[in-house]
Amino acid sequence: MTANTPSFSPDPTKRGLFGNIRKMRELTLILIIVGLFIVMSFASPYFLTWANMKAMLLSFSTEGIVVVGMTMLLIVGGIDLSVGAVMCLAMVMAAKLFVLGMNPWLASLSSIGICSIIGLIMGNCVTRIGMHHFIVTLAFMGIARGASMVITQGTPISLFSLPPEFKFVGQGTLWGVPFSIIIFFVVVIIADYLLRNATAFRKIFYTGSNERAAEFSGIRTKRIKIGVTVLSSTLCGLAGIIYMSKFGAATPNFGVGLELNIIAAAVIGGASLKGGEGTVFGAILGIALLSVVSSSLILLNVSVYWQDLIKGLILLAAVAIDHILHNRSVQQG
Amino acid sequence: MSKLSILKRGLCGLSLTLAASLTLAEEAPSSGHDHGPFRCDPGETFYMNVMVSGVEYWFPVYEMMKQAAEQMGCDTVYTGTPEYDVNKQLASFEQILARDPAGILLHPMNPDPFIEPINRAAEMGIPVVTFAADSPNSDRVSFITSDNYQEGRYAADTIAEAMGGEGEYAVLENPGQDNHDRRISAFVERMESNWPNMELVARAASNQDPTRAYNAVLTMAQANPNLGAVFMPEANSALGAAQAAKELDSGIKVFNADVNAKILDMIKAGEIFGAVNPNQGIQGYMGMMMLYLAAHPEQIDPMNDYLRSGFNPMGVPFVDNGFSIVTADNADDFYWGDYLERRGTRGINE
Repeated sequence: MTANTPSFSPDPTKRGLFGNIRKMRELTLILIIVGLFIVMSFASPYFLTWANMKAMLLSFSTEGIVVVGMTMLLIVGGIDLSVGAVMCLAMVMAAKLFVLGMNPWLASLSSIGICSIIGLIMGNCVTRIGMHHFIVTLAFMGIARGASMVITQGTPISLFSLPPEFKFVGQGTLWGVPFSIIIFFVVVIIADYLLRNATAFRKIFYTGSNERAAEFSGIRTKRIKIGVTVLSSTLCGLAGIIYMSKFGAATPNFGVGLELNIIAAAVIGGASLKGGEGTVFGAILGIALLSVVSSSLILLNVSVYWQDLIKGLILLAAVAIDHILHNRSVQQG
Repeated sequence: MSKLSILKRGLCGLSLTLAASLTLAEEAPSSGHDHGPFRCDPGETFYMNVMVSGVEYWFPVYEMMKQAAEQMGCDTVYTGTPEYDVNKQLASFEQILARDPAGILLHPMNPDPFIEPINRAAEMGIPVVTFAADSPNSDRVSFITSDNYQEGRYAADTIAEAMGGEGEYAVLENPGQDNHDRRISAFVERMESNWPNMELVARAASNQDPTRAYNAVLTMAQANPNLGAVFMPEANSALGAAQAAKELDSGIKVFNADVNAKILDMIKAGEIFGAVNPNQGIQGYMGMMMLYLAAHPEQIDPMNDYLRSGFNPMGVPFVDNGFSIVTADNADDFYWGDYLERRGTRGINE
């Protein structure tokens, strides 16, 4: 259990505030993002405006909810390739139920519930049968996407008649702040707090660091893994409902390729693909970095043929710098 | 916008000829054929083959292929692979060949990998007509598609006219997909050549993702407060772009290519300004007719060297299926569900 102890847990009694900040795993990422902000504020007069900040927050807030679940899964030593497909399934199921006459709130809760059940099945496949998360979630990626195709018959479901109070979830604002951003912050703050402080959530780290040692110390690791998989799928369901409300439609190909972006964000934020490491705060910084880079390339009018290349290079550089500095800090104790 | 629906005439000559022939065929069976021309033998089956078979674009194509086939007493089968994978589509094509089809209406995912299978089909006497994407170096008998350049030009004219010939516009792209690239380049070229006061201020790759389109339009609008219009070559991005434009409430005109029920609803609600929509159903109808003629070349005796050269006399290398401009005034005519209901069919499920 000592091989990969959680990296975020500073002890104020030993290091002091500055020491704690300096030891924060996410410090490098914060500096990279701040650096990008400084460069961009000189490059484009529109970058450091509230409207642009809001646009960037909107751009990653809903995906950020999915990142929270993925981060916990990575920490526990798993991975979820089905996030985009499950999110899409939540969307089309709720849409179909609504079109068939169900109350949109009930339809949404039902489809989120189905997502949780999918997580439960996946978690059981991993823990009871002994299959790897990778292959189980790959299979469910196909199942969920296929189910979306069957439900929609390949055609987007238009939800023009959604009631305004339901559209508010994805389109409304509260005190000038988009409601979807508020949901995002609530989810992130709760998840980050629990992961840092709640005993039950700390077991995620122990399970991911050394599952056998965790079992010997009395942690029911199978339950932890199932629980985290259910949580991840449930958050995908929530994100799907927010998107449905935002766009007023459910398309069967929504979220294709999303899993790569989500995994990338979590890993950029410090989550380890080997398990046992990562923070929600870091993962959110990861997805924020992806968003800042995308937004910057558009503001700078970079050719679309160059955008993916430059984005890839910047991300590679960011992760490389982060890993080099992190490894150096680990070696220095 | 005064022109509500602009149907291009590229295929008129051919379609009128074939339609007239069909009418005559029902009235007077010709000699040299057991049951008259433009009739299939019992069990004569034509196949349609695509990649990503769940994509709604194919449904009208197959529906109208079926329409033409039923009129001629032919059977049809919808086949393909659900994946975006050329190897899997090639495998499904081979499976069709094993079933001794009368002809194949094919959307080849990539041109060159299909050269050998199409040529082999031709040697086996199985005609192949390509639609929406081509394999030009193969022995396919014909290719039917939309003129994406013309679609881009009409979209540019429609937007520029609506903006009084001056203002700022942006485009969302899907680099790497030929038909989308053609629409974008034609759109931009038309603006530059015919509308000198229309300024292209931003380009972004949304890659058919509503979320990326939404984010891109929000960002573009920050850098360009006077942004007046956004064009994109497909429907998915329009969902996100329109939502962003709605939230910005700055009157950005969203114009896209291709429609679905959601896009049509948004056009009717004024959230999307309009769309250019290829008449893809005609790809199926005319494709089926060309396949039939290619499979029954004895019905044609053209004044050329087909006998000496050994070519199939059904020698129409290219057909343009035309397109429509969809606005709030005519959007009701493009709902797929209503069309199926009106025709009393179940689309690709039968």
